[in-house]
Amino acid sequence: MSARGAERLATAGVIAGASLLLLLLAIPIGSLVVRGGVAGVNALAADVELRNALLLTAACATAATFATILLGTPLAYLLARDRVPGGVALATLLELPLLIPHPVAGIALLLAFGRQTWIGGVLGRAGLGIVGSSTGIALAMLFVAAPLYMSAAREAIARVDRRYEDVARTLGDSPWRAVRRVTLPLARRGIVAAAIVMWARAVSEFGAIVILTYNPKVVSVLSYDRFTAYGLDAALPVAAVLVLLALVPLLALRSLRAGASPLERSG
Amino acid sequence: MLADVTFALSRGQWGVVLGPAGAGKTTLLEIIAGVRRHSKGRIALRGADVTTRRPEARRLGMVYQHGFLFPHLDVEGNIAYGSSAAAACAAAERIGADALFGRSVATLSGGERQLVALARALATSPDILLLDEPFAALDPRRRSLVRSEVASIHRERGTTVLHVTHDFVEAGLLGDLAIVLHGGGVAQVATPDELFRKPASGIVADFVGIENVFRGMIESREGDTDGAETTLRFTGEGIELIGVGRPTCGPGHAVVRGEDVVLSLSPLDGSSPRNVLAGVVREIARDGVLSRVSVATGGTSITAVVTRRSVEELGLRPDVAVTASVKATAVHLC
Repeated sequence: MSARGAERLATAGVIAGASLLLLLLAIPIGSLVVRGGVAGVNALAADVELRNALLLTAACATAATFATILLGTPLAYLLARDRVPGGVALATLLELPLLIPHPVAGIALLLAFGRQTWIGGVLGRAGLGIVGSSTGIALAMLFVAAPLYMSAAREAIARVDRRYEDVARTLGDSPWRAVRRVTLPLARRGIVAAAIVMWARAVSEFGAIVILTYNPKVVSVLSYDRFTAYGLDAALPVAAVLVLLALVPLLALRSLRAGASPLERSG
Repeated sequence: MLADVTFALSRGQWGVVLGPAGAGKTTLLEIIAGVRRHSKGRIALRGADVTTRRPEARRLGMVYQHGFLFPHLDVEGNIAYGSSAAAACAAAERIGADALFGRSVATLSGGERQLVALARALATSPDILLLDEPFAALDPRRRSLVRSEVASIHRERGTTVLHVTHDFVEAGLLGDLAIVLHGGGVAQVATPDELFRKPASGIVADFVGIENVFRGMIESREGDTDGAETTLRFTGEGIELIGVGRPTCGPGHAVVRGEDVVLSLSPLDGSSPRNVLAGVVREIARDGVLSRVSVATGGTSITAVVTRRSVEELGLRPDVAVTASVKATAVHLC
């Protein structure tokens, strides 16, 4: 075969492979939206349980994301600047929840913070018990999705050259003031993108949540519940709404990337 | 990596740091600024030990070669970052950066970035200014203007300056003291004039671009003394020279500046001790108004830097027999 023929064959192979992958991804989502989309949008007006589930999902995901931003960003900074002893080991530990099957993550949370544990008892007396509560949902979401935020935020901060901070220090800034005035604004888009990815992951969580809290129901649990109790047709509108909800963070990420400066895009 | 760097710069002096790429010049400035950790040693500024003091408490300004302007702020925001708006305006006007007000950092050229970075550091009126090749990206005319303005600020305010540069002309123009870094340590600390006249080693002589650096053996000659330096004999690389240097015996270098080599068609008469080397012209390279004439003599060659007019008057061209004369006092042995 000539070189040109081999090149054409390779190109055709790449196109065929890519098309197959796209179809595998697009057909299930497309059919879900086509078959359940209109019913889902209509259900938003009539189905109170679905509306409540949506609000609960969004609120818990938002709470988990804000808690992670607040607690995790300083650690992400220290890891990005290699200022933590054993930083590599700590970063690996932070990524571990990504690899644990999510129902197992739920069981681990139950073991650590369930009613029968000392911490669980304290939390329960404070009205923050994790079983059957929105606290438990937010905790499960944080556990499975925070590693995504930590990893992406650390990378976004590491992309900001240390010497910007050094210059700010010679201009009179304390370490944290330099971080606040220079590093965080320069890493802002990366950090916001990390938060969006975390939020999206938290919204779609099912396995860890269902172990801790079946009721009140988040959208993923409601979708499963409708499917097991009433069958495919009843689950379709809920599932379609969940897919449409996923478009929100996706569009937010696209617009963030479109507005990024060359420095942020190139790193 | 820096190993052993010791030098002292008096208050109000302009020090220039020279050295090959990778010698640790920027690292040295960062350590003095306090933004880079060092494992050993001591740093004193204004007579006080600041080794453990935070960068923001060291009262110094630093200008990186690439400026490191904050991309999320405009030019005014950058210059006023560590000072008031009035101080920022004054500093910018002084060095001509005020014309860039209103511009975003992304639209600035390399030279404009350096100008803004300089203004940003000057706006805080630091006692000590650390400059890492701050004029390198400016065009020649702007470079000369900005250089002289920064020099007048240094004189007016008594600012102590430590300035990394690769430009020997700049070092000679501005520097009160030159510090040459090499191999992680200080190769020489001297006035720029002394550095170019009397390099401490063959490495320094090579680095500052002296045309003739010979390696060989140095031996003292009894009786001939000139102050602290003695007349010494040098033998090596197919050449024998009488020169001056500190009394020593052993391996060393003979250093002869090209402009100290006098070419003639016959030996010159004179009372001062001279090295007279007979040879033939091997190559003539033009360098602006000057010419570098390479003369093969004995087992080596010596380069003379002469005017093009001298080349024409003497009728120099390859294979012409000439005499290269060098005064003993112009042969620096180290």
